[in-house]
Amino acid sequence: MSQRWIQAYKEAPWRVQVKRIALFLSALIGIAIIAGLYLNITAQTAAAGVEARKLEKQRDELMRRNSDLKTQLGSMSSRAEMERRARELGYEPVHPDQLEYMIIEGYPGRDTVRLASPPSPLQTSRPLLKPDYTQSLGEWLMNKMASLPGREGKE
Amino acid sequence: MSNSLIARMQSLAILLTTVGILIVFQMARVQASSGGKVLLNYAERNLVARTIQLVPERGNIYDRYGHLLAGNKLMYELGLDLSSVENPHTIATTLNSLLGMDYAEVLGYASTKYIKGEKEYIRFSSPVDPEVIGELEKRMKEYQDQPVRKRLFGKSEPRPSLEGLVWQPRMIRTYPEGSLASNVIGIYPFLRWEDAVPAGGIEQEYNNLLSGTPARFVIPYDPNQLREIPTVSPGGSVILTIDIQLQAAAEEILDKAVASTQSDSGTIIVLDTRNGEVLAMATSPRINLNEYWKIKELPPNTPFNRAVNVTYEPGSVFKTITMAIALHLGRVTPDTTFVDTGSFQAGALPVQNWDGRAYGQVTMTQCMQYSLNVCLAYVAVEKIGAADYYHYLKEFGIGQRSRIDLAGEAVYPLRVPGDERWSDSDLARNSFGQALSVAPIQIASAISAIANDGKMMAPHVVKATIENGQQRDKIPMLVNTPISAEAARTLTNMLAATVESESYEAAHVEGYKVAGKTGTAEIPTEEGYTSSLTNASFVGWGPADDPRILVYVWMEKPKTEKWGSIVASPVFSKMFSKAAYLLNIPPDDVRRSLYGQ
Repeated sequence: MSQRWIQAYKEAPWRVQVKRIALFLSALIGIAIIAGLYLNITAQTAAAGVEARKLEKQRDELMRRNSDLKTQLGSMSSRAEMERRARELGYEPVHPDQLEYMIIEGYPGRDTVRLASPPSPLQTSRPLLKPDYTQSLGEWLMNKMASLPGREGKE
Repeated sequence: MSNSLIARMQSLAILLTTVGILIVFQMARVQASSGGKVLLNYAERNLVARTIQLVPERGNIYDRYGHLLAGNKLMYELGLDLSSVENPHTIATTLNSLLGMDYAEVLGYASTKYIKGEKEYIRFSSPVDPEVIGELEKRMKEYQDQPVRKRLFGKSEPRPSLEGLVWQPRMIRTYPEGSLASNVIGIYPFLRWEDAVPAGGIEQEYNNLLSGTPARFVIPYDPNQLREIPTVSPGGSVILTIDIQLQAAAEEILDKAVASTQSDSGTIIVLDTRNGEVLAMATSPRINLNEYWKIKELPPNTPFNRAVNVTYEPGSVFKTITMAIALHLGRVTPDTTFVDTGSFQAGALPVQNWDGRAYGQVTMTQCMQYSLNVCLAYVAVEKIGAADYYHYLKEFGIGQRSRIDLAGEAVYPLRVPGDERWSDSDLARNSFGQALSVAPIQIASAISAIANDGKMMAPHVVKATIENGQQRDKIPMLVNTPISAEAARTLTNMLAATVESESYEAAHVEGYKVAGKTGTAEIPTEEGYTSSLTNASFVGWGPADDPRILVYVWMEKPKTEKWGSIVASPVFSKMFSKAAYLLNIPPDDVRRSLYGQ
């Protein structure tokens, strides 16, 4: 039986170790990058959350202020207040004998108040977030495919 | 690398792996345990999302021209967070100096020991102005900036502090016009905060609309999960048919009349006969709605709105209805004659005239002019008959609710043939407004049909509602057409001639021909009509040739005079005159010359 000798090389142990360390470090750096990104996004999200709450609070304050101002206006134009101011300015109640009636063409007379628009048959609601922020990649692709030119109107 | 180092590293690896496995195992165990579920729920509730309840702002109430009658103003709820009170003396001193609150009382509250779940928060009942809150904020900051003074030996001195005094904004109901139209608006007890239950008027009747719908929202802390910004629509608003100028005039005229006639109370209703809109509804007594708690100062069981919440025997104003039925059925004409002998026997009780006299031969117009009970009893019994009479009373809505959109409308059932308590004499007595009871708004609404060509419109005080930014106008509703237009016009002319007579001088309105009828009703007691007190009424409408408004007056138990012609007629005259001027209704001659009538 003849014996065949095959020349073989064995990688030096330090090279194996370096490779492993490099691999480990690569993984570590990868994880660190992902963690950093995640941290960044989380921080941005938290900041946005705080901002949203601040805006929400501000909106509530403004709504209260708006309502309060309306009421202040109501108080300032109340009947008693207007009468007092009119008297201060030298006005006095008119006596029926002093009245003079005339017809003004096209004037329909004093109309009652309209504080809001009449009901509309069309009710539209606008979503708060654009679809770009909510749809998945698959949905986005499907939408894009569907909106490709040349597909519409062929069927 | 030496074997010992490798062995140490292997041991370390085994140790770390074991620790890792144990951590994972513990995580799985915690998650699977019941405590873990509680923890998860807690985290979801408190760390993932927060729950808030939004209470909508109460809607406003306006008059027909947009004057604010009920709104909301910004105030602050003041309270004590007992867990963080540092110096009760500072709090008591500050609230005493700024708000005049009792020092000892506040000190007692602020010194209350904090007990979690039991004594955590104390609320002061009165709302506080924003200016006071500004001053509190300023003082709080000043105290926070003060350094802690230390004694040489022993503890440091307690620094002045308002810590623990907390406030939050609140929208408080307010009524810019005070007591004006308070009986129509109703009470909203705003000092009861969330537990406020409105009483009476629009505040009660339209509470669901005004209060809106509170909503509870779960808001995730993660803005990526936030799908909508929580918002709740404010309560709806209400626009009334009331004209505040007319209302103020009505209240002024009424208050003077109540005082001068020493009446227990009074009521004036001004109706637009063409559509049933209540232009003014004044009753006494009234209260300033911003101080609603003073209602307790009124005598017990005082009706909130006598125009709606009370029924009474109307007396001779009811003769208009009886005559309207007879004219509509063609049983009489204005010139039909009747010989008045001074008494008419119907059932067990004879009917007599108000003055006990016999008037001899009279026409129907004179029957109305002299307000003859005997004549009207004859018309009801002999000319109309019970079946037709009660049929038409129902057509006029007598004994039924008027459908007015105000809370607590009183109704007194009408006794009709077949009822156990009905007797033959009831028909005769009903003909001149006895033995039946109506709320002023019900009789005013019924008689408005005579002023509107026989068409009876549903009386209402709400002109429009505003909800979700849209104004919905209320469409006037035709309730019934109890009589023909011809009968209505005939009766209007008869009663216009009546008012022009001398006996109705107090009801004359300068420049305007009006139709009207007085009423003086004795007040029934348990023993019969034994009281010397009366209810004095007057109903009138005009201008007679083109009626636009109806004025109903009721003076309750006047002491100076008992007759409607003396007590209520002048009130009608003043009210109609003022209403005609405020509503731009020119005097008859001016109107004819302007429009060529």
